[in-house]
Amino acid sequence: MKIAVISCIHGNLEALNAVLADIDHQGADQTFCLGDLVGYGPYPNEVVEIIRDRQIPSCQGCWDEDIIDGLNACECSYPSLLAEKRGRLAHEWTDAEVTAQTREYLAQMPLTLRHENLCFVHGSPQSQHEYLLPETSAFIALERVLSTGADVLFCGHTHVPYVRTLSDGQLQIRVVNQAQANAQANSQTLTTPLKRIINAGSVGEPRHGKPQATYIIYDTLSEQTIFREVDYDYEKTCAAIVSKGLPPIFAWRLSKGLEFAEKADDPTHVCER
Amino acid sequence: MFWAILSGIEGNLPAYKAVLKDIQRQPIRVEEIYILGDLIGPRPESEALVQYIRETRSHSTHICMGWWEEQLFNLHGLRRDPDAIALKEKYGAAAIEQLWNAVSRDSTDWLRGLDFGFFELDCLLAHGSTLGCDDELTPDTHPLTLLDRLLRSDANTLFCGRSGLAFQYQLPHSQITSTVKTIGTPTSEPVVQEYSLKPRQIVGVGNVGRTLDQASYVLYNPNNNKVKFQQVAYGENASAVSASRGKGFGSY
Repeated sequence: MKIAVISCIHGNLEALNAVLADIDHQGADQTFCLGDLVGYGPYPNEVVEIIRDRQIPSCQGCWDEDIIDGLNACECSYPSLLAEKRGRLAHEWTDAEVTAQTREYLAQMPLTLRHENLCFVHGSPQSQHEYLLPETSAFIALERVLSTGADVLFCGHTHVPYVRTLSDGQLQIRVVNQAQANAQANSQTLTTPLKRIINAGSVGEPRHGKPQATYIIYDTLSEQTIFREVDYDYEKTCAAIVSKGLPPIFAWRLSKGLEFAEKADDPTHVCER
Repeated sequence: MFWAILSGIEGNLPAYKAVLKDIQRQPIRVEEIYILGDLIGPRPESEALVQYIRETRSHSTHICMGWWEEQLFNLHGLRRDPDAIALKEKYGAAAIEQLWNAVSRDSTDWLRGLDFGFFELDCLLAHGSTLGCDDELTPDTHPLTLLDRLLRSDANTLFCGRSGLAFQYQLPHSQITSTVKTIGTPTSEPVVQEYSLKPRQIVGVGNVGRTLDQASYVLYNPNNNKVKFQQVAYGENASAVSASRGKGFGSY
């Protein structure tokens, strides 16, 4: 079975339409969405309408959550002060823009989706706001996959697609349990199973250094992942960002496929909630 | 330098006094006492216990909040579970009234000033973990979950009290291989990285007040990382068992 996984559309209607056309062209059997339908971009209602009408299973992203529960749903919402300042402007604009129907759809989105041995989340199983970066401690990354019971964990949130395979894990363990009568130390070695994290990138706000929309195609039989980069008329989206009153910086960075604000501070911390 | 680390007094003043006496009786000098929450429980003696601690606490006694304190704050509408659903599920509806009646408003205000936990040297000391007071870690918890709790705060040792169990869970060595391929490197080889960790451990510090006439706590030497479990008999058991003799393991 060939599945397409998309994430972080962020109100970018042009990019979403181009990606959905590419998915059709690739012949994917099923599409899953990892959330962040709104925020940053100029067409949050239209994007939600398409996802809803096409009945694409979608889990809730951090921006979707913040529109429902209010900004700063978690202190990890932004990786830097600069990102927070810009994000606040985008949140306020989006909050005023979205319709009741859009809000209703965002509110009912699940935090997690499952399909056979695959699990789909926005940030991590721990939180929509937690970043699972390629450089996140491999032990923490493995714990996140194991906590779902799945073999493959699909996530988004970082806007840069990657495939991370976690293998050959070994943990030496020595336990003294005082509740046991003799309280002797019990030693063992745990070998962990091979697990995989696949980040789907971003449809509407890519940050891999180019303006093309990104998503992934995953073959459940061969377990192979294909990174997809899709051309679209990003200048049209940039113009709409400016004309609709969103901060022009969002248009600039969309045209570059970069977010320098995220480079200002260390975003690798783990959500402690 | 030695620390005494205890948790779960749960309003049992005789048990707490017995532990303090045992600490004073140690051949080594205990410089710091950490109480990892659950000073109170759903028993009327809780108020007297709080009053006693407030009157006698020295600068070297550090106290953080526990699960029972959080339930009390919930009852006062000060936490995320004002309907006390967690308390009701675990102990029944009667526990709500018992807890409410057990602690005065003045003592509740004082308890609200307690820290969430402590980070001293390379040790995290908390009732549950950084995830919350309700995070119950036991020897049966998955080792990667335990490791996660340590790595979240980059602690080498986590002392916790939520389970009430006395245990030492050591992870002397951990390793894993990570292979990453990103969209930026379609033609190059994937990045392979070996991860390994220095020794880490989680210590369950036992429980002072839950078991009648039998308290437990931990002595810790941060200089050599030695942990010693103490069991203290008091009340009717006091004369039957020689307190803390031959019950610990390891040496100072």
